[in-house]
Amino acid sequence: MKLPISKYLLSGVAALAMSTAISTASFAETLIVASPNVPEGFDGDALKAHTQNVVTQVYENLFAYAKTEVDGRTVLDPNNVVPHLAESYTMSEDGKTWVFKLREGVMSPYGNELTADDVEWSWAKSFDQKRTGNFIARVSNVTGVKAISEYEVEFTLSAPSAILLNALTLYVPGIYDTTEVKKHATEDDPWALEWMQSNTAGFGAYHLAGLRADDQALFVANENYFGEQPYYDRVIYKEIPSEASRVTLLKTGEVQWIDRPSIQKVVDMQADPDVKVERATSRSVAAARMNPKCDLFSDVRVRQAFNYAVDKDALNDAVFAGQADKAGSIVSPIIAGSAQDYWVYDYDADKARALLAEAGYPDGIEESVEILYADAFWHQEPVAIQVADMLKKVGVNAQPTRVTTSEMRARAAPAVQDMCFFTWEDGPIVLDAVYSMYLMSHSSGVSNRAGYVNPDLDALIDAGREELDFEARLALMDDAQEIWAGDAPWVLAAYPATFEAMAPNVSGWVYYPDEHERWKELRGD
Amino acid sequence: MSFTRFLVRRTFMVIPLLLGVVFITFMLIRVGGLDPVGQLAGPTATQAEFDMIREDLGLDKPLWQQFLIYTGNVLQGDLGESWLSNRPVLDDMLERAVISLELLFWGVGIGALVGIPVGLRAAFRPNGRFDQVTRVLSLLGFSIPTYWLGLVMIFVFFYLLGWAPPAIGRISLMIFPPETITGSYLIDGLLTAEWEAAWSAATHLILPVVCLAIVSAAPIIKQTRAIALEVLSSETVRYARACGLPKRMVRKLVFRNSAVPVLTFVGTEVTGLVGTMSLIEYVFAWGGLGQYGLNAIVRGDFTAVQGYVLALALFSVLVFLVVDIVVHLIEPRSELT
Repeated sequence: MKLPISKYLLSGVAALAMSTAISTASFAETLIVASPNVPEGFDGDALKAHTQNVVTQVYENLFAYAKTEVDGRTVLDPNNVVPHLAESYTMSEDGKTWVFKLREGVMSPYGNELTADDVEWSWAKSFDQKRTGNFIARVSNVTGVKAISEYEVEFTLSAPSAILLNALTLYVPGIYDTTEVKKHATEDDPWALEWMQSNTAGFGAYHLAGLRADDQALFVANENYFGEQPYYDRVIYKEIPSEASRVTLLKTGEVQWIDRPSIQKVVDMQADPDVKVERATSRSVAAARMNPKCDLFSDVRVRQAFNYAVDKDALNDAVFAGQADKAGSIVSPIIAGSAQDYWVYDYDADKARALLAEAGYPDGIEESVEILYADAFWHQEPVAIQVADMLKKVGVNAQPTRVTTSEMRARAAPAVQDMCFFTWEDGPIVLDAVYSMYLMSHSSGVSNRAGYVNPDLDALIDAGREELDFEARLALMDDAQEIWAGDAPWVLAAYPATFEAMAPNVSGWVYYPDEHERWKELRGD
Repeated sequence: MSFTRFLVRRTFMVIPLLLGVVFITFMLIRVGGLDPVGQLAGPTATQAEFDMIREDLGLDKPLWQQFLIYTGNVLQGDLGESWLSNRPVLDDMLERAVISLELLFWGVGIGALVGIPVGLRAAFRPNGRFDQVTRVLSLLGFSIPTYWLGLVMIFVFFYLLGWAPPAIGRISLMIFPPETITGSYLIDGLLTAEWEAAWSAATHLILPVVCLAIVSAAPIIKQTRAIALEVLSSETVRYARACGLPKRMVRKLVFRNSAVPVLTFVGTEVTGLVGTMSLIEYVFAWGGLGQYGLNAIVRGDFTAVQGYVLALALFSVLVFLVVDIVVHLIEPRSELT
């Protein structure tokens, strides 16, 4: 149903007309994004959900994925990374020293030009904070970043890295306008993190113009942006906590975009002509993870039995309304090198019972097996319930148990990892098989949240990180996926598809592995 | 007891109460498994970084010592820092308090303005048609979940009929809020002659206020009716009737004798509605203290949760204090205890 935006917008136009700061012309190009929360700050290194949604719009990096057309639709080409804020690069023979020549004339909204010092400072910040950016540095073997001239920056690596350029497409370590940021740094706060709580200073297409806590953030286009000016010169990122309200607002045209709708709402909106729903196969994996450090799951036969006991097709229908993609590897099929054939655990209750009997549970498992879930992802609870129900059919007394998201995150941290069985979703923000495997299955991977360790697998992944030959890397990751499938540390549920819901006139959406749309690519005409 | 002595005595009574609230909230959060270290450290932290954050937060100290430090900070007005907003919890809450109070004022105010006369009228003719209809309506008001009521009102009055503005907070997204004077967009808009802003704020208030008024009116109607019936059957009223006083005067007497218990009940109701407010604020994206508290609970922002609970306790104490004072002003014979 389409209702006129009515007098509220008209009164808004009148108010804006009175404002000397804003012209009514720009008002027509406002994108309103309804989100459960406003950003929790604007430091890309801080892994906070809504911070990540917006820093992707503000901080751009040295490289970017090229785009290609598939079935008439624009998608990223994960195997083709092109210069963005950088212009070119050279690599030493041993692959350990890379020099990037920056594009000249790239300006921040504050009128400062991008220099090599900005890149050096930004990476130093990530190294020092030891958070997301530091992980990206570690996974791509970067040990140091140094400005060697005004427009040249040198990256030193501990070993050759096949994913460095991919890593340089990310929003973190972001590249800051340090001329501006340093004005707000203090002795106690050398990275100006306090200032970044409510300010931005990047070289991207947008910058923060205003923030009202628990209410909204206003972004405006960077007038000095080096690329094409975006269609929307103003984006209001509005906090609407209730999903039902967000959907209603989208249906009535009050907002043009809503963040990550649940599958129930997706099904509802797909039937509504006043809403456009776009879909992409996700790079992430929904799964129930088993911790091999727990007694029960230390036996691979139990882990395999649990996988055989779960009917993945029924799970897809029951939880994901049949809209997810069946998972056959820890590496999503949208990533080159994904090997789906090693996952042999098609639903077979008899085989599950037999494996349990072999593992010493001929009568099933009477003792309660808790399957923990939280609400970090909408599907955690239904997946836990469905998996528990299916396990009961093979004699496992599985009990879905709710914990808070904060507890689950804390207990999944590398230094803790004391949950034996829980549902979660993870995915790589770099579209690369080595990165995916390192992130989620290597003993040092930050998304390997359930204590899974296999030295043989680690060795293959480590070799892959240093292997520059594309085909050789894929071969290594093929072996790695075979080992991982044999170990079966997760009950793979599905690749939950990514859905974005928008007003019917909005176009230009492209799926990014960080699962955040880019406002600069959207159009409303 | 003199008014000054009353205030001093009440203030001293409040201290152990608030300390009890601080203690219970603190312990519930600590034993509830809410570990902020995992949140603050992020997913890439090593054990050493975990330990460092734990030490920075003082979480490596014994629980009793942590409690003493926290209590000491609270007494100095330091409620800690929210990990979500990275700002002092006190500042966060002060900014949002006015926003919630505005909604509470209008919602409970209208609820009481409607509920008290309706309850009284129902009591004057018990089991009459008006009374029966009122009882059904108040039962409905009791039974309807607040969250659902809010969503239905949005669906009907915004989505279907287009009469109400969208549930996007306190003011249209296309209008600049007026300069902050009181924190209420409506009042600030009027004070600064920003008519568009004031109008928008007023229209955005309608649905959440009506929602809160419905929720608050139902118990007020029921309780007012019960109180008035009790007063009607009291010896004073029976004597007045026996003396042949006109109905108007009897009703005035009933109204006056019911005022104190009704007012006390409305005070209790206000404190009880603060929890309900969280859901209304959530549905209407109101951005007040209730939404802040709910968000803090859901997302594990433990310092904010502690601050929020303490603020609610303080608010309840203040409301009861005000009620006592108002009751004393209405009925000077009542003891200030």
